[in-house]
Amino acid sequence: MKIKGSVFALTVLAGGVVAGAAPSTFADDTDWSGFLETAQHYRDEVGLSKSRWLGQLEGLKFVGDVGLFSNVSINGVVRASYDFVYDFNDDEYGNNAGGQAFVNSLGLANIGAPTSIPVNGPGIGPAGGLGVGSWAVVNILGPRVEEITGAPAGAISGLLANNTFIDNYTNNPNEGMITLGDHLRPHGAGVAFGVPVRPCDFDNRGCLNDYLDFTKKQLAAPEIYSDRMDWLRELYIDATLLGKGDNEINFRLGKQQVIWGRTDLFRVLDIINPVDYSRNNIYDELEDTRIPMWMLKTDFRFGPTGVFDDLNAQVVWNFDEFRPSNLGQCGSPNAILDAGCFFRGMKNLWDNGGTVANFAPFDPADPSLGLLATNFGPNTIGIRDVHLPNWSLSNTQLGLKLEGVYGDLGWSVNAMTYRSQLPSLRAGAVEVINPFVGGPAQTWDHLIAFDMYFPRVNMVGGSLDYYSQSLDTVWRVEAAYTEGEEFANTIREELYSESDVFRFVVGADKNIFIRPLNETRAFLLSAQIFGQHLMDYERQDATLGEIGMPDWETNFIGTFLIKGWWMSDRLSPQIITAYDFRAGAFVIEPSVDWLITDNWQMVVKANVKSGGGDKSFDDCRLCNPFGPFTTSIPALPEHGADGLTSGSAGLTGFEPLGRFQSGPIGMAEREDEIQLIIRYRW
Amino acid sequence: MNLRAFACGITSIFVSAIAHGAPTEADIEQSFFPYKSYQPSFDGLAPGTTISAGNVDQFKAILDPAMYDYVKKGWYEFPVTETTSFDLHPNYIKATKDNLGNVALGESIGQISGFVAGRPFVEEPQMDDPRAGEKLAWNYKYGYNWGDNAAIYPFYWKYRNLESGNLERTLKFNFHFLNYKGRVNDPNGEASIPPEDLFRGIYVQVLEPFDVKNTQLLIQRKVDDLERDNAWLYLGFQRRVRRLATGQVTDAFLGSDLMIEDFEGYNGRISDMNWTYKGTQEVLLPFYDHDKVQLTDANPDDPEDDGYKFVDFGGQGGCFPQISWQLRKAYVLESDPVDENHPISKRVHYIDAQTFTIPRTNIYDRKGDLWKTFIIGQARPESHLEKNHDSGVSIDDSFSMTDVQAGHCTTGQFKGQVDPELNPTSLFTPQNMRATGR
Repeated sequence: MKIKGSVFALTVLAGGVVAGAAPSTFADDTDWSGFLETAQHYRDEVGLSKSRWLGQLEGLKFVGDVGLFSNVSINGVVRASYDFVYDFNDDEYGNNAGGQAFVNSLGLANIGAPTSIPVNGPGIGPAGGLGVGSWAVVNILGPRVEEITGAPAGAISGLLANNTFIDNYTNNPNEGMITLGDHLRPHGAGVAFGVPVRPCDFDNRGCLNDYLDFTKKQLAAPEIYSDRMDWLRELYIDATLLGKGDNEINFRLGKQQVIWGRTDLFRVLDIINPVDYSRNNIYDELEDTRIPMWMLKTDFRFGPTGVFDDLNAQVVWNFDEFRPSNLGQCGSPNAILDAGCFFRGMKNLWDNGGTVANFAPFDPADPSLGLLATNFGPNTIGIRDVHLPNWSLSNTQLGLKLEGVYGDLGWSVNAMTYRSQLPSLRAGAVEVINPFVGGPAQTWDHLIAFDMYFPRVNMVGGSLDYYSQSLDTVWRVEAAYTEGEEFANTIREELYSESDVFRFVVGADKNIFIRPLNETRAFLLSAQIFGQHLMDYERQDATLGEIGMPDWETNFIGTFLIKGWWMSDRLSPQIITAYDFRAGAFVIEPSVDWLITDNWQMVVKANVKSGGGDKSFDDCRLCNPFGPFTTSIPALPEHGADGLTSGSAGLTGFEPLGRFQSGPIGMAEREDEIQLIIRYRW
Repeated sequence: MNLRAFACGITSIFVSAIAHGAPTEADIEQSFFPYKSYQPSFDGLAPGTTISAGNVDQFKAILDPAMYDYVKKGWYEFPVTETTSFDLHPNYIKATKDNLGNVALGESIGQISGFVAGRPFVEEPQMDDPRAGEKLAWNYKYGYNWGDNAAIYPFYWKYRNLESGNLERTLKFNFHFLNYKGRVNDPNGEASIPPEDLFRGIYVQVLEPFDVKNTQLLIQRKVDDLERDNAWLYLGFQRRVRRLATGQVTDAFLGSDLMIEDFEGYNGRISDMNWTYKGTQEVLLPFYDHDKVQLTDANPDDPEDDGYKFVDFGGQGGCFPQISWQLRKAYVLESDPVDENHPISKRVHYIDAQTFTIPRTNIYDRKGDLWKTFIIGQARPESHLEKNHDSGVSIDDSFSMTDVQAGHCTTGQFKGQVDPELNPTSLFTPQNMRATGR
């Protein structure tokens, strides 16, 4: 549903309320507030990574009782910002970002040639695009071709006709590029490719239509130039319908955030609004990063009922047009999991082709000689299309919650049917011309040519909180079970599979006096453990390594917060830490929040990470989609005796699937920052 | 001091208690209307007298030690008015009569039986009763402090430097109180106010300043004194209701000079303290008519629409309410924490004998030195908002918590409203915080 439709819905409700009866009381009571803020981030080895100036205006109009409805109010939040990082540090993030990208072609060492070559350069010599860097390397399209095809010696001379490997890239020059993942660690013997990084109005290569295709203006001023009126951050009307006794129904209709759950940082139940990770990865308050949606939230409040001290039901209908989470466009400072770069690079490979590191064997008969960078032509590998769900009634999202209090126990049962806010890459349905021999386009199993989807997911879950008097500790638990989520899976021909997922968080909060540090104010200690288990996990050994799902079958992330207050709570230092157990990734974020006056606030932070950025996994280089050309001589066991069977043999590298093991902390290992935020609020 | 009248009053109560061995309606009369039989007085003290550094030595006997010291230092001076009766609501008194003699202490501290409503122990405390202090504490807990319900709407807290008077921070709240048990004005009886295990609900909204705006706090106090409160917090920047650990009631509330345990004079469990009755004393206490003291706008940029004015503050650092005081009968009650790690060694409360409010408390640190002093100004309801007239509530109307060791104070300016419409039961639920949170 477009904004126009949403505004219409809001107007209908407001109109209905007003039409019901003249206001019985009409309080002329409007509350205006807002703030101006600047956030300056400095990133190690990069320099300025944020220079944002932001203004927000918040209005609250109490209308009073209107017809059948009481406590009617209208709430609105308008936000606008401009991030000068795209101007002040434009050779990192703006129109001058990137440069020449280089990838490894380690097989070139066999002939003494440099093994690091610029991407998208011409192939040299008779091997064309497969002989990137040296005409002497002619590999599978050269002398070995008869062996590969089984043709009699001399039947085929030289290169196969109609191959689609190319020698030059007029639409994809090696400029404004980075090498995928190399800011984190060198790709070594793994795969990599060049990724355009400049804003999409300046360089539209690899931009994903309606998803990650931001212009410089949209990156710098995301609210003002948003396609979805993001400057109108929230606008909703509240109304209450009183019933008998304590019963009442609360309505909230409009653009809003709806928050479920009881835990911090992790979104086990807090799944209703998508999140803008481009703002500051996972490190900003969700209040600031949730993307408000046009929704109707209805709370049925039954009050004390039966055995429950309080009982309520909630229905949330997200009738807005689907919107995915913003993972951050490649070339902007925050791209969670570096996914935006992977997507952009893959989209560019599909649209324009490009050089991929260490791909084709130097000699198919002798894998020990290493691999060569390979020049793919367009429409062979990469991401072809993005399938964002259009607005339709069936694409809207619905949530139900039953929540109550039983003695010292707070509880909720939640259920939601929604669209995944994270993309899934599906292979196997993209028609591609065999790049070795040409011919009609057809689908290929295990071919790294994808379409992007946002599958429907169904979730059931619940939460508890409990105060343990003996420990003086609050326990918080959230758990959710989803079906419909999709994960990369190199075992499957489609290179993805569904898995049910069980997630949980257990948190404990305790206030403790540390008298030597503060006589009068207790410190807040809060610890959480987050767990995720993939129920339909697939992983197996192949000839060269493990294949299957790169994600961990079971993983845990622990967080710990200690926060103190001094100077009448005007000075509040805190330390947040998190550790991803399987990734071995650690982050610590110490900060000091100083309320200079009731209006001025300053926050100084550091964000330092360690470990986890070096995970590798099967990259499907030996998935043999185009057998027998993409296997060895003799064929690898996974590819059958004739070499015509597709399936991964388990050759590994950091890219592209190691990111799912590194996680958001590990993949940002080289993004240590110091941050300064100054806010004036009125 | 009219010693003869005071002695007469005290003696008659003592005789009554001894003679009857059980509380009587005469005890009720004496408890709720102590000034029918005598008017407290002190030599040299007359209505209109201003207690100041120049004359404070003359009145040392009717000042608590900390207040004497403040006045002596020239930090504070205040006028004295005649003692007036702050009659509590007739229904509260009736409930006391209806349940007279039915209430008994349990075996251990924090246990009580037979309480329904009203003042549990109306007989005069006796020095030889080892549990007299505990009874006074119960009388306070089950007092008619804010009636069945009330709101402080709004409630300004100001953090000040005692030395310089620098105003460091201003917080604006709405406070709401609802008694689930011991209600006396509910025509439908208590059954309409479930749930069963709760005694009292306290709901707080923070309106200003920006860093805590939209914060909501809900405290549910249990009937069983041995159980701790349930508490929930809604943080505007998280938009989520969080359950709070409530064990640390000695934590400074939002950075103020008040512990959570300090609210209203004492805001903890009876069972958390050892209670010692130290005697009955005539002492100057902050009781006044709101419309006859120095008033001001708490926030000149945002005055109240109805023209209501708040009590003004002045004196050293702006820490002292500009109000008048009365010479009143008070019970001196000492409480020392059961927990050996508690940050204080004791509180000395001056409990107003008629209202069982706690207008004065002095707090001592673990070494035994004076740490903080608490003034809660009590306004006569008929001098306050019209809706408070005949409410039978001694209106908490101003407070000052002064930390003499840190040189700091927190002052409070109330707009107390005894108005059931401001305190529906639906307000006192975690769900309300979720539904109304922004």
